[in-house]
Amino acid sequence: MPAEPAERALRVGVGGPVGSGKSSLIAALCRELTHDLRIGVVTNDIYTTEDAQFLRATGVLPAERIVAVQTGCCPHTAIRDDITINLEAVEQLERDQGPLDLVLVESGGDNLTAVFSPALADVQIFVIDVAGGDDIPRKGGPGIARADLLVINKTDLAPYVGSDVGRMISEATERRAGYPVVALSLTAPPHARAAAAWVGAQLAAFATAGGHLHSSVSGTPDHHHGHAHTH
Amino acid sequence: MSAVAMLLADSRFPAGGYAHSLGLEQAVTDGLRLEDVPGFIDARLRLVARADASLSVAARRAAAAGDANHLAELDAEHAARCPSPVLREIARRLGAQLLRSAATAWPSALIDDYRAASATTPRPIALGVVGAAAGLDDRSVATVALYDDGATVASAALKLLGLDPADSARWVAELAPEIDAAARSISADERPVAEQVPPAAVGLELAASVHARRTERFFAS
Repeated sequence: MPAEPAERALRVGVGGPVGSGKSSLIAALCRELTHDLRIGVVTNDIYTTEDAQFLRATGVLPAERIVAVQTGCCPHTAIRDDITINLEAVEQLERDQGPLDLVLVESGGDNLTAVFSPALADVQIFVIDVAGGDDIPRKGGPGIARADLLVINKTDLAPYVGSDVGRMISEATERRAGYPVVALSLTAPPHARAAAAWVGAQLAAFATAGGHLHSSVSGTPDHHHGHAHTH
Repeated sequence: MSAVAMLLADSRFPAGGYAHSLGLEQAVTDGLRLEDVPGFIDARLRLVARADASLSVAARRAAAAGDANHLAELDAEHAARCPSPVLREIARRLGAQLLRSAATAWPSALIDDYRAASATTPRPIALGVVGAAAGLDDRSVATVALYDDGATVASAALKLLGLDPADSARWVAELAPEIDAAARSISADERPVAEQVPPAAVGLELAASVHARRTERFFAS
């Protein structure tokens, strides 16, 4: 395989339902990775610039490396059916702030069918949380089944909302044909370390492959290969 | 109307229009009511979309003739006719998004050369270049330009105001004869665009700046 250095940043999509913790996960990933990497973030805000402001307020990245785009009430369209807004934003960010190693694209909160086009995200993370109900992995859908990494967030809340984290992990794993599942809490150590390690492995694979990764979302659903596994 | 023109006019063609209300969001914030929306669309058609469609037709002719210098002049003409920096930036982004997808849909040196040469890619000029690459005639380019403007506003209304989606389709249907007549007249006009009627929508230009500064909004324009 050719090993030319990648000419652009690795693009990681972060999707999932409203309130599952996408912005918090991105902040935590930036906190873990920002010492070693130049990171940019594109948020897809639904109504306010809340997500971009939240991330800027955390101070994990320089404010100019976080940009927001409006999606006209169509969050799934902006990451899957018509990705031109996000592609323009990512490329502009890389031109203005580059070179960057990693660009995280945060989808507006949507439903379980919303996944990123492989033309926008090299790989993608789908974030659900225990408080949304422990039957979500069983319900499945493209986000649960096909995202390159599934994060089950807010495990610290499980005792209070009556969710069985072990069952969520096992039912998610059954649906995912060997793709990784990480359960984590961002309120206590080790925070997002497992997800950050996965991103690190994707970056290494991306560099080795000269800027080509095969996302599990590409092509037909059972066509899984060429992707950096961490387990 | 050819299938290619329908594809270009289809909101499913990935050119980013769904994220824009073309001023309707700010107008609604400023008090525009549901029953005023057809009038808003009609006003845009007469005051903005018509002039933009003239630019698109001129750009189609220049691109088809391989006249890169004239395309550059049309870029400048668009900037001169669009005093709002906010709307110029919106036009640049929408043009870039259209060219990006069109370069894949209709692989063509016309599109590649214009993307490489133009720093501003205003959407009306980009649409003309894409029309040339896709083999559309002047009238089809003008029809697509005018229809897209009206349909984008009508679609945004569904998200900003509660209404029956069939009613928003009726608004566009009722404006269709005016769109067709305008497309015929624009495509028959052989004068340079500098001699044609320029856009005249100061209110929209001012409102665009207010909208761009809002922290709570659905739409990019």
